[in-house]
Amino acid sequence: MIETALKALFILLYATFVGFMFMGIIRIVTARVHRRVGPPIYQPILDTLKLLGKKENITHGLIYDFGVIYALGATILALMFIPLGGVGILRAYGDLILITFLLEIPMLGIMFAAMSSGNPWAGLGAQRALLTLLAIQVPLGFAIVALAEFYGTFSTYQIVAAQQAMGWSITHLPLLLAAIAYDLVLQAMFGKEPFDIMIAPGEISLGPMVEFGGKHMGILQIQHAIALFAETLFFANIFLGGAVVTVFASPILNTIASLAILLVKQIAVLLIATLMATIFPRFTIDQAAKFYWKWPTILAALGAVLASL
Amino acid sequence: MNELVVMVIAPLLAGVLAWLLDVRGIKEALGVLGAAVPLGYAAVLYERAGEGINVAYTLGGFQITFALNQLSWFFIGIAALVGFTAVLAMVSTAKSSYEWLFALMSLSGVLGVFLANDLMTFFIFWEIMTFASFMMVLKYNKGASLKYFLLSVFGAYAMLIAIGIIYAKLGTFEFSAVQQAMYRDAYAVMLGGQGLFTKGETALIYLLFIIAFGVKAGAFPLHVWAPDAYSETNQSYTSFFSGALSKAGVYGFILMYILMGAKLTYEFGAFRSTTKFGYIIAFIGGLTIVVGGLLAALQEDIRKLFAYSSISQLGYILVGIGVGTALSMQAALFHALSHALFKGLFFLIVATIVYRTGKTEFKDMGGLAEKMPFTFAMAFIAILSLAGIPPLVGFASKWVLFEAVISQNLPILGGFVFFGSAIGFVYLIRFTYAVWFGQRPTDLDDTKDAPLPMAIAMGILALGNVLFGIAPGLVARELNKIFGREVIGGTLYVLDLGFGKYNALLLTIWLVIGIIIAGIVYFMGAKVRRIPVTDTYQAGNPITMDYNLTIRRNFFLPLKETLAFWLRMSFDRLYRDVGRYVEDLAETLRSYIYNGNVQSYAWYLAIVLLILALWGV
Repeated sequence: MIETALKALFILLYATFVGFMFMGIIRIVTARVHRRVGPPIYQPILDTLKLLGKKENITHGLIYDFGVIYALGATILALMFIPLGGVGILRAYGDLILITFLLEIPMLGIMFAAMSSGNPWAGLGAQRALLTLLAIQVPLGFAIVALAEFYGTFSTYQIVAAQQAMGWSITHLPLLLAAIAYDLVLQAMFGKEPFDIMIAPGEISLGPMVEFGGKHMGILQIQHAIALFAETLFFANIFLGGAVVTVFASPILNTIASLAILLVKQIAVLLIATLMATIFPRFTIDQAAKFYWKWPTILAALGAVLASL
Repeated sequence: MNELVVMVIAPLLAGVLAWLLDVRGIKEALGVLGAAVPLGYAAVLYERAGEGINVAYTLGGFQITFALNQLSWFFIGIAALVGFTAVLAMVSTAKSSYEWLFALMSLSGVLGVFLANDLMTFFIFWEIMTFASFMMVLKYNKGASLKYFLLSVFGAYAMLIAIGIIYAKLGTFEFSAVQQAMYRDAYAVMLGGQGLFTKGETALIYLLFIIAFGVKAGAFPLHVWAPDAYSETNQSYTSFFSGALSKAGVYGFILMYILMGAKLTYEFGAFRSTTKFGYIIAFIGGLTIVVGGLLAALQEDIRKLFAYSSISQLGYILVGIGVGTALSMQAALFHALSHALFKGLFFLIVATIVYRTGKTEFKDMGGLAEKMPFTFAMAFIAILSLAGIPPLVGFASKWVLFEAVISQNLPILGGFVFFGSAIGFVYLIRFTYAVWFGQRPTDLDDTKDAPLPMAIAMGILALGNVLFGIAPGLVARELNKIFGREVIGGTLYVLDLGFGKYNALLLTIWLVIGIIIAGIVYFMGAKVRRIPVTDTYQAGNPITMDYNLTIRRNFFLPLKETLAFWLRMSFDRLYRDVGRYVEDLAETLRSYIYNGNVQSYAWYLAIVLLILALWGV
């Protein structure tokens, strides 16, 4: 019991910290691409602390508060189910479909909170977010189907274990196709250009986030950090082989080594997304739907069909 | 008198009495009592469903036979529960004793369909159910009811022809006899002998049954009646209409598997890891999910949205049935239960909104969450359940279905079901936004919350959603009993399929922990100040209630534009055109044949005589 609690606390703190570092890395990399110096890497932490420390906050009602809390709670829930090297606490139940769903449900909380504010920009942002979700679901679904059919199991942990024996997922052609499609989907899941249609800074005043300030925004920043961590971790687990290190005698060294390996893989995923985001302008929402229903869908569906043969 | 007969007759009797007496207060009491009897009996007979109960009567030359087994008990349970809550809500919304009569009659019809033990009884109660639901729609909208009636009759007579063919060959209506004969037939053909049914006849029966059950289940492209019929009637009744009546179609498909699964499998062969005839059903189901979901997102009327959503969810059940393994069948049955629970709840919520505001379109609503907090809480549960958010029942059943489909290596169907879950999310948020949040039109300012009977009815269904969600093992245990073996393993809280596991209790606990952690962060911050909905960011401009800031119309316009090409094709329009063509043809025939000219009638006589002469009479 205590051990589980300690593990959970560790995962939570680690994910939050690394997630914030990821947000910092995104800002630095973007700045360097633009030939700027950029903020220090811990800048997002300072931002969040400032937001949480505001002396006055506003609310539009119960759902406005609850939606935000629910979003963070659901993100923490999703995090617990994804195997983190050898540390995962619920990894026996880390089902592919379950995690895919769990990674989406924080959005429900954000939508509820944003919509209850009654702001027209929030409504517009919610509409765009939902259509993006709908657009990415087709390639995402096929990518998950391809994985499940290739490995014959839905357990994320068993998929990681299988990759230790058979090589990374992306070394197999059907799964490589699925991985490319999933990577394109990640761009929208992170909310990065060219698919940051939901937030769309400068176009619709941050969409769903427009009414949030103070501690609500602070909680959403934490949520974003954890979600970044969870999504990259999930990708690294299912496509990049995860990490199960057993070479050292001490379990602590093994854990540290596997966390380090995972971190490198996560940063690789993050960098691809960031570099893509810096060079592409934003799509309109109907372009995004048409794009996702065309190339990534074809790739992922091809992968799924090949995997099922 | 036998329990099964009492169960079937009680609602009808109560309905007739309520109609005859027509006294305020008494008819409501009679109606609720009539719906409570089947529910009570379903509970009492639970223990005995395992051993099976049979009863037979001879009526007008036909054997009327009823049988209760595990499978029919499951469906009876669904129908009795949803029927009871719908009738309870009708206490508030029913306008006349006419509605009591036909609502209860259709409950009798549905129970009869589920309990029938031979094809003739099945057909008779199928017709009672169709007729009663038609009368319910007729009261509100003639056009919608005729559309429903025409398609239903089309389906029912397709079924009648199929039953006729079966009877002509086998000389029996009884399920067990038909089943055995079909088995024997499949074996005979397999061993190179001469079967009773040729391949063509088998295909014909299969096609006729698909039409018959597809109409009731609202499968694409036979779904066009549903949006009109579901919306143009008492919404409390629709809760039963969509929650239980549509399950009759599902039950029909399962019956087809039981009766002639072996024969169909043998005649048409396999497709990948499933059967060819099953794959066709599953594919129709997949199309139904996508079409129903996309159209639901584009509706401007709250009732139409849920009608299409109901179609979409039934597509899942068809996919599960079509894939045809024990696991996918269980998933389909599980989803049938959860669909009844959350869709029954949704239509009660719609009924409450319509009852309290008298409006049905999104453009007239908004900001109701403050005025109807209880109904909103119920809607919140229903939304989470339908969208497939753990730990509610909608997720558990969808999860089993996903795994059942994907583990059979059917990637295209997997893509369909994934898309369906996203589209469910999309149209529900639209409903949430337009009805519950944002500015409230001033004419809704004195809206009250749900009346007590409706609140109780909603509470019962919401409890079911939560209970079966956190303890999906309860349902899995019943489903395993139907198959006589452990298809879905696990405990009360855990579903274990071998290649995937889902622990609802642990998930709930961690969700609560997550929310507590988030709550701690929230409550550590400074106090919040409540501000009105007009005190909001509008590009820095001041605003008043005179501005409409909530997007209520055409919310998914970009989706409409993206799908413009596909939306140009409409089966509704196709059927209308065919209907108009048939009408024109009738008109043409009338004016040419019955032309009022005596000489032409003489000519007809001459032609007939000529034909007879040529025939050599």
